[in-house]
Amino acid sequence: MSIFPRRTKRPEMAISERELSQMTRELQELHDSTFPQVRKTLDELTSNLAQVVSKPSTRRSFFLGAAGAVALGTAAACAGGPSGPAASSPAAPVPEETYTGDLKVVALATALENLAVTAYGGALKKAGAGELGPVPPAVATFVQTAMKQHADHAQAWNAVLSKAGKPTITDAPLSITQDQVAMLNAAKSVPDVAKLALNLENVAAQTYTFATANVSDAGGIMTAATIQPVETMHAAILNYVLGQYPIPDTFIGTSNALKPETLTVK
Amino acid sequence: MHNKIDEGRFRELLEESDDLHADAMRQARADLRDYVDAAHEARVAAGLERPRWTGLAAAGGVAGAATVLASGVAWAAGDDVAALQTAAGLENLAVQTYKTALTLPFIGGGAANPVVKTFAEKTMGQHSEHASAFNAAAQRLGGKPQTGPDPKYAEVVKNAVPTIKTAVDVVGLAITLEDVAAQTYVKDVGLVSTPELRQLFASVAGVESQHKAILLAVQALLKADAPQLIALPPDAAKLPSAAGSVGFPDAFFPTTLAAPVQEGAVR
Repeated sequence: MSIFPRRTKRPEMAISERELSQMTRELQELHDSTFPQVRKTLDELTSNLAQVVSKPSTRRSFFLGAAGAVALGTAAACAGGPSGPAASSPAAPVPEETYTGDLKVVALATALENLAVTAYGGALKKAGAGELGPVPPAVATFVQTAMKQHADHAQAWNAVLSKAGKPTITDAPLSITQDQVAMLNAAKSVPDVAKLALNLENVAAQTYTFATANVSDAGGIMTAATIQPVETMHAAILNYVLGQYPIPDTFIGTSNALKPETLTVK
Repeated sequence: MHNKIDEGRFRELLEESDDLHADAMRQARADLRDYVDAAHEARVAAGLERPRWTGLAAAGGVAGAATVLASGVAWAAGDDVAALQTAAGLENLAVQTYKTALTLPFIGGGAANPVVKTFAEKTMGQHSEHASAFNAAAQRLGGKPQTGPDPKYAEVVKNAVPTIKTAVDVVGLAITLEDVAAQTYVKDVGLVSTPELRQLFASVAGVESQHKAILLAVQALLKADAPQLIALPPDAAKLPSAAGSVGFPDAFFPTTLAAPVQEGAVR
């Protein structure tokens, strides 16, 4: 039986949970103090993008990598798309290219973050339904915290889209989404979900790494730069949970970065 | 101390990790070549440099190109060379610190947790390769390599070492160095002049932040007097709830502790 939603019985530990929880709270406060600085960077990005919305963003073909890790596959178009003005009226004419230049990267990043939120949220639901077997408390905390951080990332990117007059993206319009959801639905254990999440985190980290070189706006570059380490940290913990060496690479690569054409909305 | 570890499996994991690392190194060298090429092209386009050595660089790789250009004048834009030298200084200090830590019985000796010891060894190696990469780039841009440690944090380490009594002390010091390095490189992404160099700094920042994440988790378990839970694979069911989040405190990686770009520049 899953212990995930109601942990009435904790594993025996000779350590102080209280002390660790206190550390977590302190670190969360640190995060909250960092967020205003990020907001400032995002506001600058929005301001700049409003002036160069149609500018191509690359000096070489953008996001060159093989589209996603092998396990991500190449699924058909996902469900959903942008929300807000352009999506609210199906009959309204949709611009041929809603997201161009750097804004296409912003849209891609938003969708990828939403996919991560969806994956972790789906894992929580499965855990709550007892479909993953026993879920260790630390894994439950990891999922909840990582999901919140991805939601923060998505919210930040959506703020840029919104301020640039573009529809926000509230789901995951990516060609890989269908396969990811299928993999999540097929997951039967915590390691199954952890492998799925690890793959997504690695793809996100590589996508942001490549974005630092292929986005033209300084604010966009820095936003990608400040999110990328967070995804790599998630990956390190997931590697550890899976019993794998947590830091397998000396340099974060880009070969599994998502291509912009992975985005299924124009 | 009770340490749960399958040494054979652990070695296998390390070998797999080394294979991945070799692939990543090839990519990093390619990135460096791209960067130097792009910076050189910019200089040529601006009439500040004659086209001369691209073929040599391609043929000779990083080391060969570094030799060819070792005595040249730095022609990278702005603070590029200084940023690379400062980064190399931070990496050199990390290597020295882990090396010193590994001489301590509770990090590298008989009383050490084998996972912590292996982490220290492997992380030291990764920092050494980062230093080589940064210095190779600096040299290929006509700058001098930074062979010494970052001056500011060398003092911090110097003052801290005599006070170290336990593994917690070492881990705390290591977290400081990893955090400063990661924050510096994140900030440098926004300071350097070419896409390739931005990508290089981001690539390394992601790894230093991973070191920080694991060290934060280790620190939490050590402070909670639960070293037996630092194992690979871990007994996940016994890990405390908070251990699942203590390793990544920020949704956006901060830069407030970033070292100034000139801090480790070679004068």
